[in-house]
Amino acid sequence: MSDVTVAAKRQGPSWLILPGIVWMALFMVVPIAMICYVSFWTQTTFNISSTPTLASWKQFFSSDTYTGALWTTVRIWLIVLATTFIIGYPTALFVGLFVKSKTLSTVLLVVCVIPFWTSFLIRVLAWRPMLGKEGAINIILLKLHIISQPIEVLLFTELSVIIGMSQIYCVFMVGPIAFMLGRIDRNIIEAARDLGAGFGRIFWKIIFPLSLPGVVVGAIFVSVMVLGEFATSGALSGRKVNLLGNIIVTQVGSLKWAMASVTGVILTVFMGMVIAGFLRIVDLKQEL
Amino acid sequence: MESRVLKPMLAVYVVAFILFLYGPFFVLWILSFQQGPDGGPQFPITEWSTYWYRQIFGLTPPSRIAPLPVGEALVRSLILAFMTMVTSTVLGVMSAQAFRRKFRGSGFVFYLIVLGMMVPGVLTGLGTSLLANNVFEITRHWYTTAFATHVAYTFPFAFLVMLAILNRFDSSVEEAAWSLGVSPWKTFRKVTFPLIFPGVLSAMLFAFTLSFDEFPRSLFAAGGTEDQTLPLAIYGTFSVEIHPNIFAFGVLTTLFSFALLSVYGILMGLSVRRARKLAMQEEIA
Repeated sequence: MSDVTVAAKRQGPSWLILPGIVWMALFMVVPIAMICYVSFWTQTTFNISSTPTLASWKQFFSSDTYTGALWTTVRIWLIVLATTFIIGYPTALFVGLFVKSKTLSTVLLVVCVIPFWTSFLIRVLAWRPMLGKEGAINIILLKLHIISQPIEVLLFTELSVIIGMSQIYCVFMVGPIAFMLGRIDRNIIEAARDLGAGFGRIFWKIIFPLSLPGVVVGAIFVSVMVLGEFATSGALSGRKVNLLGNIIVTQVGSLKWAMASVTGVILTVFMGMVIAGFLRIVDLKQEL
Repeated sequence: MESRVLKPMLAVYVVAFILFLYGPFFVLWILSFQQGPDGGPQFPITEWSTYWYRQIFGLTPPSRIAPLPVGEALVRSLILAFMTMVTSTVLGVMSAQAFRRKFRGSGFVFYLIVLGMMVPGVLTGLGTSLLANNVFEITRHWYTTAFATHVAYTFPFAFLVMLAILNRFDSSVEEAAWSLGVSPWKTFRKVTFPLIFPGVLSAMLFAFTLSFDEFPRSLFAAGGTEDQTLPLAIYGTFSVEIHPNIFAFGVLTTLFSFALLSVYGILMGLSVRRARKLAMQEEIA
């Protein structure tokens, strides 16, 4: 055996990976396989038995409640993806490209992260006194005489869910985009400017394409989190907006495990398609 | 040049963005000082008071509003976060060590682990509770099933942090130790571990905070009320009427996170300083 392989063996014997593989297989792969399996089980009033049936699948696709939840999930996901991108990109542009001092950009990123030190559920709840009929936004708008009647659609509607999710998840867009923008070689931009390109042209031809991997990573983060959501939609819509996640929670609450599993499988498949789609746009392994 | 116009405009935008991020928190902080026990969770503030803070610590006379059931839940959450932190950091260091050389299927294993931070908690939670109920026929608890799903979620973060640290690691110091006949385990303990310690701290911080705040996995994988973790206790108040005590509690947990991060910052600063000191001693010698 050559010295190199001996050194490599000592550095990291490959059995060290085994506990990690076993843990992930046992507590992630097997549970998801179990969801797929149980989605074909027979549901009785309070129990499930392993007799295979397609009943729950048929029920899902023939009920407006369930297919409606699927479309609501898709709609909210697309809207939140758009809002987090629109809200986040300018911030990322400023932090990643326009701020010259390293300290200031770090400080700005830390400022963006601080809200995450508050519990997720309390962050969601904090929107209620903000958006309500007697909430902060209505009070301020009334004081400024911008409106004469309090806006009531702000809370317990789809809008409040979108506002809440946009705020909670936009930072996941800002981070990756700012990171990619920060890596752009400033000389390229200088060169383009020397050759007479205006900012618009520089942005569309250089800056935006180079930031695209960051956008994709951010979009994956946001998608994964929004698609698995149920707390924000439950707390800010007054149970009016039902996402696939909400369906799973209520079905489990009434011990309808088979239906919860069907919903889980649909969520998994959809999410897989979304992630695969994003990874097609940009080859992440090459970019990072 | 447009940047003379654009930069100030973007700066103003970023200020607005930060206001958007922090707006709800300002409201939360203000309303946590609402008068109690009759003041509601909305404006206007009838009278400034610290009633709701005192209520959390049980310092107020009993009233029609029950105090938050957070005492035991907090202890459970802290223990669970600690267990998760230790387990996922150990797994993370081990796996990242193994990844220092290429092995067959390393690409697949990488994705298997990283998938753990992507799969929504609703799904792993649901699957784990199905397994526990129907295959193993065990009762779900926060320290068994919920703990397993928490680690499956935080271990990928610890793994990625350690991978980033070990990628930049100069292995010549290890080789020096081996050539002097030091055993691999002792080399790891005395040479490698002290050098990667800042990374280990970051991995621990990630795992602890993620587990402490983890909600969907606990909701499905933990059992009944005697298994409530802190996020579950907070969630329980969602369905009933909200009182400012939940806001006061939010402020307190934020302060707790600040304290935790300060401890992390101090430990980090100490380890960096120690590393510098060692380097200087070496130079002198």
